[in-house]
Amino acid sequence: MTARTAVLVLGALAAGCAHHSALIAPALIAPAQSAVELTHTPFFPQRDYQCGPAALATVLVASGVDVTADALVERVYLPGRKGSLQPELLAASRSFDRLPYVLAPELPALLSEVAAGHPVLVLQNYGLESVPFWHYAVVVGYDAAEDRVVLRSGTEERLEMSARRFLGTWDRAGRWALTVLEPDILPASAQRERFLEAAAALESTQRLDAAARAYGAALNRWPADSTAMLGIGNVRHASGDLPGAEAAYREVLRVDATHAVARNNLAQTLLDRGDASAALEEITTARATLSDPRLAPLLEQTEQSIRQAMAGPERPPQ
Amino acid sequence: MTRNSLQRCCVVLISLALINLGTPAVASAGIIGTQTVIEASQRDADLATIQAGLERAEVRQQFASLGVDANLVEARLATLTDAEVATLADRMEQMPAGGDLLAVIGVVFVILLILELVGVIDIFKKT
Repeated sequence: MTARTAVLVLGALAAGCAHHSALIAPALIAPAQSAVELTHTPFFPQRDYQCGPAALATVLVASGVDVTADALVERVYLPGRKGSLQPELLAASRSFDRLPYVLAPELPALLSEVAAGHPVLVLQNYGLESVPFWHYAVVVGYDAAEDRVVLRSGTEERLEMSARRFLGTWDRAGRWALTVLEPDILPASAQRERFLEAAAALESTQRLDAAARAYGAALNRWPADSTAMLGIGNVRHASGDLPGAEAAYREVLRVDATHAVARNNLAQTLLDRGDASAALEEITTARATLSDPRLAPLLEQTEQSIRQAMAGPERPPQ
Repeated sequence: MTRNSLQRCCVVLISLALINLGTPAVASAGIIGTQTVIEASQRDADLATIQAGLERAEVRQQFASLGVDANLVEARLATLTDAEVATLADRMEQMPAGGDLLAVIGVVFVILLILELVGVIDIFKKT
């Protein structure tokens, strides 16, 4: 199978010499200009195998972070693999309070980001599907008339590549592309669920201020979104703002009274504020409205700790 | 002697606490994180949080064996979400590791040359 795939892929590569219709023009979404180049995007020539740190530094500095490729080596380079893994690029971006957003795997999304002034970190595969050679680069421009893209890549500050060739390498890498922006700036191609996932990752790795900014941006774009509002409650709870958390959870429940997780979190917050009986009332309702059985143990735990708190210190003498 | 054992006990407790620091808690006890809600809406599988502890230990070990400086392993682990840790624990060896392009082009050329010489492909000859 591998030999056959190899021959097919090589055949496709060889066919690259023939004439082809344009790829960029049909993928542009109005009001994107027909040619864009983000010339101010910095450049970090890579050393050794370290295109990961170099590409990540490029997008981080473009987003206003003061960092160098060398300083990122110890955060994202994996000596045993002679390279960097995608999850670590996301994780390192978060540690600088930036929101790493994985784009929908399609050319229009990528181009719309570049058109909006956002350089895009991409994974490319310069090898074959069966013998991959992975490389990170940053797309900083495109030209529809020439059907070309411009990259910061490896040791080349300005690598021009035909759209066809670029798409070949990008296709074989699963069309993985990433913007790294301030958390309150929505990517031009932002989709609700993808963006909230990225915001929730900031929350769960304790980047609370950044998470709050991202949830705020999400609410601006998608008003009354229950997940974003829940996230705001969670961030407030984690930073010790219990009244604020309670207000946010109640806001979720106002929009969706059957939101069992918001009610669970409200119950916990009420318990933390010292009102165990109100908490018990809420958790009882939450358990009754829960539709996802996988979450049941979590709600049960909350109820247990509420009951313990009620029984605990004022246990009547026997 | 009692003082000594008290100190020892403290050292053990603080060490345990430090080990736990490497594991980002699920927000705080009782609060269900937003990520759990999103995951629950996406996946049919068991939620990642259940196994998170075990998987972090596994990734910690793999990082060390792949040459990550011992002082940096915990910091790198702490910035990963449970879902990312699960992915890494599962397939760190097979995941794409973006590396050196020059080496890449060299190897690709050699492979093409071999295929050409063996006669599988015919891209270097101009007709």
